[in-house]
Amino acid sequence: MTRYTIFSAAVRCEWRNLRRDPALWLVLAIILSTVGYALHNGRSVVQHQNAAIAATKAEEQERLANLRLNLADIDAGRIAPPERPFRDPRLPIFVGGGSGATGASLPPHPLALIATGQSDLYPASIKITSGGKDSFLFSDEIANPTQLLTGSFDLAFVLVFIYPLWMLALIYNLISAEREQGTLALTGSCPVSLRTVFAGKLLVRAGVLILVTVVAVYAGLAMTGAGFAGNGNAYAALGLVIIVYGFFWVALATAVNTLGRDSAYNAMTLVIVWIMLLLILPALINAWSQSRYPSPSRAEMVLSVRAASNDANLEQDAALALYEQEHGHSHERGSLRERTLRRISVTQAAAARADSILAAHDAQIAKQHDFARRFAYASPALLMYDAMAEIAGTGRSRYAEFFSQIDQFHQEWREFFVSRAKTERMLTDEDYRQFPHFQFEERLNGQTFSLIGPTLTGIAVLFLLFAGIASRGLRRCSVVGRG
Amino acid sequence: MSAVLEVAVSTVHGRRRWPITLAIAAKEWLDLYRDARWRWLGALMLLLMICALTFGAEQVQRYDRDRTAATESDRKIWTSQGAKDPHAAAHFGQYAFKPQTPLALADPGVDAYVGSAVWLEAHKQNEAQFRPARDTTLVARLGNLSLAFVLQTVIPLVAILLGYAAFAGEREQGTLRQLLSLGVHPTDLLLGKGLALAGAIAVLLTPVLIATLIACIMLTDTAESTLSDQLIRLFGLAAGYTAYIAGFAMLALAVSAFSRNSRAALVGLLAFWLANCFLVPRLMTDAVRTALPLPTALEFRQTIAEEKKKTFGHDETHPAFVVFRDDVLRQYGVERIEDLPVNFRGLALRKDDENGYRIFDQQYGALQEAYERQNRWRAMPGPVFPLLAIQPWSMGMAGTDGRAQYSFTTAAEQHRRVIQTFASDDLIRNGRYRDPTYVADPALWQHIPSFAYREPPVSWVLPVQMGNLLALAGWLAITTLLAVYAVRRMRPI
Repeated sequence: MTRYTIFSAAVRCEWRNLRRDPALWLVLAIILSTVGYALHNGRSVVQHQNAAIAATKAEEQERLANLRLNLADIDAGRIAPPERPFRDPRLPIFVGGGSGATGASLPPHPLALIATGQSDLYPASIKITSGGKDSFLFSDEIANPTQLLTGSFDLAFVLVFIYPLWMLALIYNLISAEREQGTLALTGSCPVSLRTVFAGKLLVRAGVLILVTVVAVYAGLAMTGAGFAGNGNAYAALGLVIIVYGFFWVALATAVNTLGRDSAYNAMTLVIVWIMLLLILPALINAWSQSRYPSPSRAEMVLSVRAASNDANLEQDAALALYEQEHGHSHERGSLRERTLRRISVTQAAAARADSILAAHDAQIAKQHDFARRFAYASPALLMYDAMAEIAGTGRSRYAEFFSQIDQFHQEWREFFVSRAKTERMLTDEDYRQFPHFQFEERLNGQTFSLIGPTLTGIAVLFLLFAGIASRGLRRCSVVGRG
Repeated sequence: MSAVLEVAVSTVHGRRRWPITLAIAAKEWLDLYRDARWRWLGALMLLLMICALTFGAEQVQRYDRDRTAATESDRKIWTSQGAKDPHAAAHFGQYAFKPQTPLALADPGVDAYVGSAVWLEAHKQNEAQFRPARDTTLVARLGNLSLAFVLQTVIPLVAILLGYAAFAGEREQGTLRQLLSLGVHPTDLLLGKGLALAGAIAVLLTPVLIATLIACIMLTDTAESTLSDQLIRLFGLAAGYTAYIAGFAMLALAVSAFSRNSRAALVGLLAFWLANCFLVPRLMTDAVRTALPLPTALEFRQTIAEEKKKTFGHDETHPAFVVFRDDVLRQYGVERIEDLPVNFRGLALRKDDENGYRIFDQQYGALQEAYERQNRWRAMPGPVFPLLAIQPWSMGMAGTDGRAQYSFTTAAEQHRRVIQTFASDDLIRNGRYRDPTYVADPALWQHIPSFAYREPPVSWVLPVQMGNLLALAGWLAITTLLAVYAVRRMRPI
């Protein structure tokens, strides 16, 4: 018999056995229902985000339209300019700093429904002002904290947590069941390679599960209307991570099977490994990275910014006192010009301080993240979770890109208003038309593979490692077992 | 119920049976002790819990250091403002930093997902800022090492692994028939095995409880809460987790007695564990989020802005302002503002603040009520899926739940009002009519106190958490009844 004939005979035999096994149909039903529910749930979360972004845009448009109407009335002399400068639609520093502030939002990626990632921690839209970055960067969306703690039932959760379990449920007794039934000795006595036979059996058991999962995910995405055009890369990457992550668990379960112990032992060992990789290891890595590189104290940042604005205020007062002393007459306190210049100098001093502290904080946080990421290679679950978020555009890369674009836009916005304020220019209707607008540029589109490359390689290496162990084990596999 | 009564009666009156029960327990203990796997597992669990406690204590201490430093700096900045218009100082405001409760070392609860600092400025009640979760990695969303995490997810699994073969295993080995043929009453068997299981878990948990007690005593700051209060909270935690884990042990025994073989028992128990720890909490979270939606931040702020528009703020042309001005003039019996013996701007600011307080109390109160409604619904299946009851109970006792956060933000808001009142009163007494140059003496900033927060007593927590405690008691009762029922119907072969 050729190796191929043995292989195809094993495949056919296994398929006939498997399809009569109610466990298979139960597992398939679980796959379809969990994937379907997770995608449905993901879609409702994304719809909510889109609605929130649309609402902030509508609010901004209405606010700006009112300011322009007000401006036209003042310019035409129909109404008197407001007494309070922060209500005046002509004063750049107040318009850019509050009443005319613009929203910057990160539109959900077409595949955002597959993983909530970090999207529940950030507001749908961040209101950019001409003040310091610290004044708007930390705004939050309203969310029940218990829900944030629990996390949501998204596809990432299904694939990272449950997908390995149904894989283990069908493979934990791949070899041990044959041994317990006595058929392993029978097969072993035939002139066939055990490796070929088990490769055929594995192809059926694992192949059916992986294939059904991938098809269910793609079909679900098609039904929920997630855009495909221009996202071919992300779709392909999603399929690939599901397959490679599935391979890892198959290899692991097979390797445990080759230890030659009974089915109960295999099941117990695999469940313990699942718990180690999915629960204990992430918790330990997280704790270790946090205690090694603690997150910086945000309170310290706030207080430095306050101290800076206090100092700038006091300096101005001192300069003013000196001026009065030297010129012998009281300077008119609180003139509009003086107040505006004071405001600009105070906010700039504070913003400079805030920016430098924020940069230092970011560097500290980056160290913690790098540390955690290095150790994440010990757990394919962490890699998978990260890859899913990256594909969904809710992971660190797209958020980092978003915040770097916000950074650039903030400078542009500030420059627009501060330059006008410094030269005491009043805003005109033309200026209102020229207000900068934030538009997120999708620079990462088409780069999905380079983003998830390292994580995918990490899972693949772990898969190869266990595949090697399994293959070696199969060669030495004892047909009677170790009891 | 009669079965439970019978067990109780047999333990109270049937003294003869105790030796049997103890002999069964002793035999089980010996088995566990001889099996190296259990020694390893036990050591590993102990190590994990000690790691979690050490990490928790380290976090609490670090947080405390940061907070003390921040509070001192804020005070310094506040008192060194120099001569200033008191209302400008009110705008500059203070910061309120949230203290961490000592028991956060055991259960950090939602602390990572709520802000830790509130800016107390004029006219506005701000939300707490800086959710620590935003600074951590995505890894943190998969698992945060804490004693609560170990007790809620890992220890039930240990109980399952210890108990799943209790009856099914004996049946497979044929020893169950022998045992029953000796005349051992099935409930005695259950009691003995239950005792053994409880003893094994107690051996694991008692050192952890003692370590938590010591750490809690060392970390309690009497300026923020009392030691007796913390001890009651710790006792509450211990009681809740005892019911939670004992319920799992009982369930393992029940399923083991019901099942055809130990493999079926293990699979069933693992499926339940997975549903309890991962599936149902997420499903319930999504269900309440959809069924009882919260307002978006924009909607929330817009509602407040709409309400605020009805008050006069700084707008002296607002109809409400005119009414207020006329009232004040009438009250003081004068015709013109400049004839008032007090500063009118200060009065107007105070009135405006008071208008704001009503709006903030109403809106923030409604938001908190919406959170609590969601939490109540989420906890409903608690007696059947006990994670939904132990999680809020544990956070409530540790003082790290959303309600504890609300208590902090409410206290911070009260302090903001103290600052506003000081500033407005100074202006009312000392400011002159239409004189923008008035500045308060820098000594005024010293008179305005810093924010000090005391954790609410446990009596504030208990009434709201009673439902969860009852759910846990219900869980233990249901599983116990199930176990008694199962062993009485147990087939020896």
